[in-house]
Amino acid sequence: MDFSEKIVSVLEEKFGGKREPLAKWDACVVIPKEYLHNAVEFLKNDSSTQLDMLLDEAGIDYLTYPNHEGPRFAVSYSFKSTKVAGRRVRLKVLVSEADLKVPTLTDLYKSADWLEREVFDQFGIVFEGHPDLRRLLNHVEFVGNPLRKDYPAQKRQWLSTSDYLMPELEKRLESKGYKVIERSEEINPVDEEYLEGSRK
Amino acid sequence: MKNEAEKPNFITSSLDFLVNWGRTNSLWPFPYGTACCAIEFMSTEVGRYDLSRIGSEYVRFTPRQSDVLLVSGTITYKQAPILQRMYEQMAEPKWVIAMGACASSGGFYDCYCTVPGIDHIIPVDVYIGGCPSRPEAFFDAMFDLQNKIKDESYMKQRAERVKDQLEMIRAKTAECKAEAKALAAEKAAGAKEFLVEKEQKLIKKAQFWKE
Amino acid sequence: MIVLDPNGEKLSLMSLNVGPTHPATHHCVRLLTALDGETIVAGVSEIGFMHRGFEKMVERGTWQQVIPYTDRLNYCSAMMNNIAFCRAVENMFGIEIPERNKVLRVIVNELSRINDHFICVAAAFQDLGGTTPFMYAFNPREEIMLIWEKLTGARLTNSFARIGGLYRDSYSGFEGDVLAACNSVEKALKDLHACLDRNRIFLDRTVGVAKISKEDAISYGWTGPVLRATGVESDLRKDEPYYDYETYDWDVVVGTQGDANDRLQVRLAEIEESVKIVRQALKRLAPGPVDIIDPRIRVPSHKMAYQDMEGLIGRFKSVYEGIRVPEGEYYCGSECANGELGFTIIADGSGHPYRIKVRSPSLAHVSAFNYLVEGLTLADSMATLPGLNMIAGELDR
Repeated sequence: MDFSEKIVSVLEEKFGGKREPLAKWDACVVIPKEYLHNAVEFLKNDSSTQLDMLLDEAGIDYLTYPNHEGPRFAVSYSFKSTKVAGRRVRLKVLVSEADLKVPTLTDLYKSADWLEREVFDQFGIVFEGHPDLRRLLNHVEFVGNPLRKDYPAQKRQWLSTSDYLMPELEKRLESKGYKVIERSEEINPVDEEYLEGSRK
Repeated sequence: MKNEAEKPNFITSSLDFLVNWGRTNSLWPFPYGTACCAIEFMSTEVGRYDLSRIGSEYVRFTPRQSDVLLVSGTITYKQAPILQRMYEQMAEPKWVIAMGACASSGGFYDCYCTVPGIDHIIPVDVYIGGCPSRPEAFFDAMFDLQNKIKDESYMKQRAERVKDQLEMIRAKTAECKAEAKALAAEKAAGAKEFLVEKEQKLIKKAQFWKE
Repeated sequence: MIVLDPNGEKLSLMSLNVGPTHPATHHCVRLLTALDGETIVAGVSEIGFMHRGFEKMVERGTWQQVIPYTDRLNYCSAMMNNIAFCRAVENMFGIEIPERNKVLRVIVNELSRINDHFICVAAAFQDLGGTTPFMYAFNPREEIMLIWEKLTGARLTNSFARIGGLYRDSYSGFEGDVLAACNSVEKALKDLHACLDRNRIFLDRTVGVAKISKEDAISYGWTGPVLRATGVESDLRKDEPYYDYETYDWDVVVGTQGDANDRLQVRLAEIEESVKIVRQALKRLAPGPVDIIDPRIRVPSHKMAYQDMEGLIGRFKSVYEGIRVPEGEYYCGSECANGELGFTIIADGSGHPYRIKVRSPSLAHVSAFNYLVEGLTLADSMATLPGLNMIAGELDR
């Protein structure tokens, strides 16, 4: 418990964090959005912390939470250290409905890529600077964000055809230094032909 | 021919028996296993339960070579078009088993992302309950399916298929005949005109030479 | 498609879609690749084909009703997920479970881990074309399944653990069955090693394939056997011990290379360690209660409910209203077969969970998949995927 007390006080001093009163069992600090990236960089690289693994990003919607004040959404980040056993800390960022933006952590942790895509998918929170922000779990034609509290659980949405993914592949090729100069026929499909054969 | 095929007689019923015997005892499943039920299906395949006993020797992972589409696991809306495509790619005759509560009805995932039963997408022959179904239940379903196949009449189905084809052929022949007739009439008319023209030419020639 | 490669030369690539209907991808991962001959130049993977809304569904039920849903996260080792979830909630209550319960949970945990690792190795062999090891691995598994049936009544999705207790105590003859299962597990391990260790085809296809460095693995958030295969000694059972794991005599297994072969070998070695733990735990299994006595948390037994007014009220209240977990937020991770299974729990003090987010180990593993296979041949990519032990229920939740 030593470490968590220390890290909370450091985060409070350096990055204007505030201890989350609801987290009674582990160390959790609410960090202002603009300092999130710096705080995480500090946690990852500083020799006194060495939290080198981003375990989880959880979106939270406080719409129906009893007696809740403040912004509607929050994102909770769980960190852990693989070098020193037992070091864990959680950071929390509050996100208001008017400004659904959070800085991305993809440049610090590779695991942030899919975790952020999932939060974007389920809650509609936009991660600024994310290289490829698409839906992860739900299909491409899905409208809305299912884990928000105002999304009815049984509202079903059919999918007509699977995701195309070709633009993403080309993006991936270009990021590796390749340059696409000619596409084959099936890469530029006519819309009607492409839909033919799959369900309406 | 139509009447002969529809009425069962000694030859057709023996042929039916033979075809059904072959079909029942070599049902090759195509395991469309997505979730927990697929693990139970794996248990069904191996050692203790051994699916090969009832002739399902090979588990084929391609729709072209299999007879039974075995949907074991939850089907989500993201998966639905793929499952339908797989079903369409299977060759006739084909049957479908919905294994487990999720495939039959959506199970206890009554949610924005799960299809409430695969019968919303494809026709199902046998449903199995359980979450997940036990291997014994799976065998029971296979026996049900075998009984169902034994009741089918290959000759009857064939007659229906042939009936459509025959009608199509008849219609096509009639069309062709009409076309040929029209063509012949045209040709005859053309030939007549040609003859008349030639006669007139000859008459003209004769007159010319006369003069 | 025709592309210019980084050196400026013209290159003709073929785009090929692998999965989700591919025997090795288990209908749950799709990989779109750009192939140069047989080599994968670039790949994009897509998941979500099994997203069945765990997190939305659990918000509608009570706290106890979450337990059957956790079964279906990693269905190869269902009871481990139950225990991980119950442990998280018990930590929020701040209760200590009885000694017998702890030992039973350790036995169940380790047998489930054996089950899970056996399936993973068997499926890896099957995907590489070897059917014999598949049969070998399933024999002891079936034996463990029989124990599950006697213990819980179900084969696969058992829902055995309860918050503050267990569904029921073990049956008479449990110890003998577990010992017999341990013996046959060891026998099957011998057979599997005979198939695997000097098998030329298998070694050629897995040794040195899909290597990953320690730093990359940590950055991708890998945990569990796949992280230990790269040489990082990280196991929550040792690092943050629970259920007295630190008092058992066992070792953390680590690999050296971090390739596909190491990932499977680490699993097989972990089965040996698990057998060790089970044997020690059986000796500690002393008679005693398995449930805590607190009608606000653990439902009173039938005997109490039918003879006692308080018991009846307690049963009604905890079944209909749900137990009242104290308000707050908490993240708790446990070492499961695949890695760290964590639950971020937001409780609002009522009988229903406000939000539960699952930290699934498979998601982290599969997120590295398309980077791992770039530069490999297409056949090697299918030797890589089973080693990651992608379990769809956990991956997409």
